[in-house]
Amino acid sequence: MAITRIKAILWLHTLRLRRYKWSFLNMILAETAWIFLFILGALLFVPSEYLGTAVKAAFWTIVAWNVISQFSSLIGGWMNFFISIGMVEEHTLRGISPFKMILGRIIPSFSVITASLLFMAAILNGVFNTNVLLVNNLPLLVLALLLLVVEGLSYGLTIAAISIRTSIPYNMLEILNFAVVGILMIPVQSLPEMIRIVYLCIPYAAPAHLAKIATAINMSALFTEALIISIAEALIMALTALHFIKSSEKWMKRNGVRAVGFW
Amino acid sequence: MSLKALLKSGIMLDLYFYKNNRGAFISMLLWPYLMLALILGMGMMLGSPEAFKENVGLAVNPIIFFIASTLIAMASVDVMWGVGGNVLFYRWVGTLPYILLSPNKTSPTLVLTYIPRYLLFTFIQIMEFVPLILVLEGVYRGILDIGIFILAATVGMLPLLGFSALFASFLLTIKEESNVLSWLNPIILLFSGAFYPVYLLPHWARLISQLLPSTYTIELARTVAIIGTPKLAAITFLIGILAGMTIFYNVLAYMFVDAGEKKAMKEGAI
Repeated sequence: MAITRIKAILWLHTLRLRRYKWSFLNMILAETAWIFLFILGALLFVPSEYLGTAVKAAFWTIVAWNVISQFSSLIGGWMNFFISIGMVEEHTLRGISPFKMILGRIIPSFSVITASLLFMAAILNGVFNTNVLLVNNLPLLVLALLLLVVEGLSYGLTIAAISIRTSIPYNMLEILNFAVVGILMIPVQSLPEMIRIVYLCIPYAAPAHLAKIATAINMSALFTEALIISIAEALIMALTALHFIKSSEKWMKRNGVRAVGFW
Repeated sequence: MSLKALLKSGIMLDLYFYKNNRGAFISMLLWPYLMLALILGMGMMLGSPEAFKENVGLAVNPIIFFIASTLIAMASVDVMWGVGGNVLFYRWVGTLPYILLSPNKTSPTLVLTYIPRYLLFTFIQIMEFVPLILVLEGVYRGILDIGIFILAATVGMLPLLGFSALFASFLLTIKEESNVLSWLNPIILLFSGAFYPVYLLPHWARLISQLLPSTYTIELARTVAIIGTPKLAAITFLIGILAGMTIFYNVLAYMFVDAGEKKAMKEGAI
């Protein structure tokens, strides 16, 4: 039974991805174009001899941000749609958690991230005559991105759980997303020594730092600290998401879906 | 319905929208500063203002340069969404048939109900940057800069209205539900030199840039970033180009939106 349910959820999201192929293409193009626009502006500040290194640093920071933003908004944001078409009640009545259902959004999120990452890399490699995909430590990069996925997913599910009980204004979350990219941009070495650990404790900062270590040459500052903080943070965020999901499900069964979701 | 009534309905719609959506109003106020902070922050982390001046090839103030870019980029996106994107929005919420069947033509309805919102909110966004501009440029030069921003945002809106109405016509006819504007907008900004000057783009991209009204609006706004008094001849030249584009794109839009509207009504593409 559990396998049939998982298959149904995976089938639904894969089918939707295929049927809304223009929307999928649209998301990839829009994401890439906006990011490219901002990167071009920022690269105007870079002396031409350091352009290759700067493009690579900017690219991987944007990838880290993209993972967070896609997982949180595509998963968290879908709850609004799910509530508005009345599917939360339908699934609850049939004994299927709506949160398991929206977890299937990993499929479109992952597809959008992978396609836009490759598209963006191709553009940047072509324009700046560099290879942004050339990494120093691939296993570490994969681990860093996985930890970012867990954190982004946990945040998205927490938002979705809260949005069942009360409305969350979408533009406020967009602003929060925007602030995150600013935080990720800060190189930990540029901070005073005493606040480096505090900086790494900001959600997403530690795994993003691991991604920077994995992609840069001759950079290993605060590796162990970042690794420990990342794992602990991912666990805490995942447990927080589980707690909010459980309490929202209980609340929803007693009171019904009250709000307009994440809009 | 008179044109005055359309303008009034546009004003009332937006005032009540923001009255009832304070979160949207606050985010509208925060957004320009966030965009500016992101680009300047990324730039400063990766390089320096000296390298910026060298790369741009002009003696410019990077902060004023990007204030001009942010303001005009936001205004351009707003016009394209406000006029072109509204067709999609009306289609999604099911009100497009009513707009197509209303006594006014679709093109004036889309444009006239939008103008008050544009003027009001672009003015608010320019005013948001006043303290920063006055601190950076001093009172006399700051007032001159703000005047040029208001001029660029107002004159630059006129051809963009026609240009965006052409998109509205395109969206009416293609029967496409997906949001093509969300990727067209950044590409248009890219070719317009919003955050990266047009003269640094490849030759083929510069040819496309010349057809876009936003290119000249951004150029006009950016005259304030050049250190020294902005040249009146350059400003007049850019206003002249924008005036010519206003006539060209609005006449074209009037013809095409009419055709798109008729096609949509005939084929039921609503």
